[in-house]
Amino acid sequence: MRRIANGNLVLVSAAACVVWIAVWAWITRSGGPVSSLFLPSPGDVVERFGRMWVKPYIGSTLLGHVFSSLSIVLAGWALGGIVGVPLGVAMAWWPRVKWLVFPIFQLIRPVPPLAWIPLTLVWMGIGEPARIFVVFIAALVPWLMNSMQAVGSVDPLLIDAGRTLGASDGKILTRIVCRTALPTLIAGARIALGNAWTTLVAAELLAATAGLGYVALNASRMLDTDVLVVAMLLIGLLGVLLSLLMKLATHVLAPWSLSQQKG
Amino acid sequence: MLEPSATPKLELRNITKWYGPEGTGVLAVDDCSVSVQKGEFVCVVGPSGCGKSTLMTVGAGLEEATHGEILIDGKPAGKPGPRRSVVFQKFALFPSETVAQNIKFGLQMTNVPRDEQERRVQQQLEIMGLTQFRDSYPSQLSGGMQQRVAIARALAMQPEILLMDEPFGALDAQTRTILQEEVQRLSHQMHYTVLFITHSVEEAVYLSDRVIVMSRRPGRIKKEIQLPRDVAWKRGDIEQAAEHPEFIEARREIWALVREEIMAA
Ligand SMILES: Nc1ncnc2c1ncn2[C@@H]1O[C@H](COP(=O)(O)OP(=O)(O)O)[C@@H](O)[C@H]1O
Ligand SMILES: [Mg+2]
Repeated sequence: MRRIANGNLVLVSAAACVVWIAVWAWITRSGGPVSSLFLPSPGDVVERFGRMWVKPYIGSTLLGHVFSSLSIVLAGWALGGIVGVPLGVAMAWWPRVKWLVFPIFQLIRPVPPLAWIPLTLVWMGIGEPARIFVVFIAALVPWLMNSMQAVGSVDPLLIDAGRTLGASDGKILTRIVCRTALPTLIAGARIALGNAWTTLVAAELLAATAGLGYVALNASRMLDTDVLVVAMLLIGLLGVLLSLLMKLATHVLAPWSLSQQKG
Repeated sequence: MLEPSATPKLELRNITKWYGPEGTGVLAVDDCSVSVQKGEFVCVVGPSGCGKSTLMTVGAGLEEATHGEILIDGKPAGKPGPRRSVVFQKFALFPSETVAQNIKFGLQMTNVPRDEQERRVQQQLEIMGLTQFRDSYPSQLSGGMQQRVAIARALAMQPEILLMDEPFGALDAQTRTILQEEVQRLSHQMHYTVLFITHSVEEAVYLSDRVIVMSRRPGRIKKEIQLPRDVAWKRGDIEQAAEHPEFIEARREIWALVREEIMAA
């Protein structure tokens, strides 16, 4: 039953996409109600996409801009994980670490990552390191919060079981706690990546020399709405793609968390 | 037969356990002494909340007693470890590990040689009827199967003492009966030394050589009842056993003691 229902949903979604694009095409047709200056037609966008794919636009091809954005996102996201996961695990495992770090962390948390940009500009200028840093800040919070929560919510009974089976404290942490916490950790990684992506694009709107946000900003200044729409569509699609990749990671790294009772 | 004078395999001597500060916290167990001889199956029964789990957790070394000592072969037992295996009511299986990995876990932790690990895992899978679930994850198994894995994991350690805290409490009636019979058969064959917690009087009479009745909280030892050992009626299934006059008499006596505690609450 469920399978069929899910299959139907996919069909409905696909049909809805076609309808939305059709509506878009209809309102932007030549002589239609919406001028191409406000919103280009789907055809214009596709054509523009093709041209930008081969010909550089403000310094590099579309692929170059995509690559620039992605590499900064991945760098900042990975750095966030490298710092956030061990810190989050340590905070959950040793109360002292939590007391030490948590106050600062609570203070930083409500500051939107973009609010770091002015300070970052002073520290590092508008180069890549500055953007990586802002992305890092955006990714750090979910990385850290989720790993802390993941470890904190491991059933203490499992730790007791481990102790009676002769596991040392170190083995309990690595073999039981961290492994059990993995699905929540991956969920944190996924949120972190989403945050990283939206923050980067916003950062590129403010201070950048390449990337999809930078393309969008330039296009807006030039009233090149078709370029703007290309950039926005790509930003959306890449965001979806990153999210799907992280879902896949759960299947690969923690298949047990998805399994259902069978006997 | 057992010599009453022999040093017990496991002894809980004058155990008192306060949760929170002594005097103002919760007094869960008050001056309880329990000893289990080698090869003996001892059940502790008592009303819910009387301190049975506390007694077992302390006995396993997972919690410190406020007063009293835990001795194995007359010497302080120290930290929890593979000499005392524990089976918990809630199974406590590692969700990220398969059935075989769960059983193997303690063997890896205690540096059992690799081929010996494999041999013991295989043996336990067969004994507990888990061979076809070898590579399943706990979340894929029913409660009864999960508890079989937990028992297999405990037995694979070849512990000197087996501690079980209401291991069948979370199972449905049929599964419980089947596992009771298997544990009965196993302990009879292997002469395990077992401290078994339950609130089921029938289970206690069927499985054990001796039943210890606890009072309501704060848990004290109310009475010990010696049951006939090595008698034929215990070796069959539980329904047959329950018809035997000795079973009926023991159940009546113990149930009367437990009822007193429940009614007095
Ligand atoms: N960690 C704890 N902290 C405070 N009180 C506890 C704790 N564990 C158990 N208790 C209390 O100790 C008493 C005995 O509990 P327990 O040993 O679990 O009883 P039983 O297993 O016989 O049902 C209960 O009143 C319970 O509320
Ligand atoms: Mg209990």
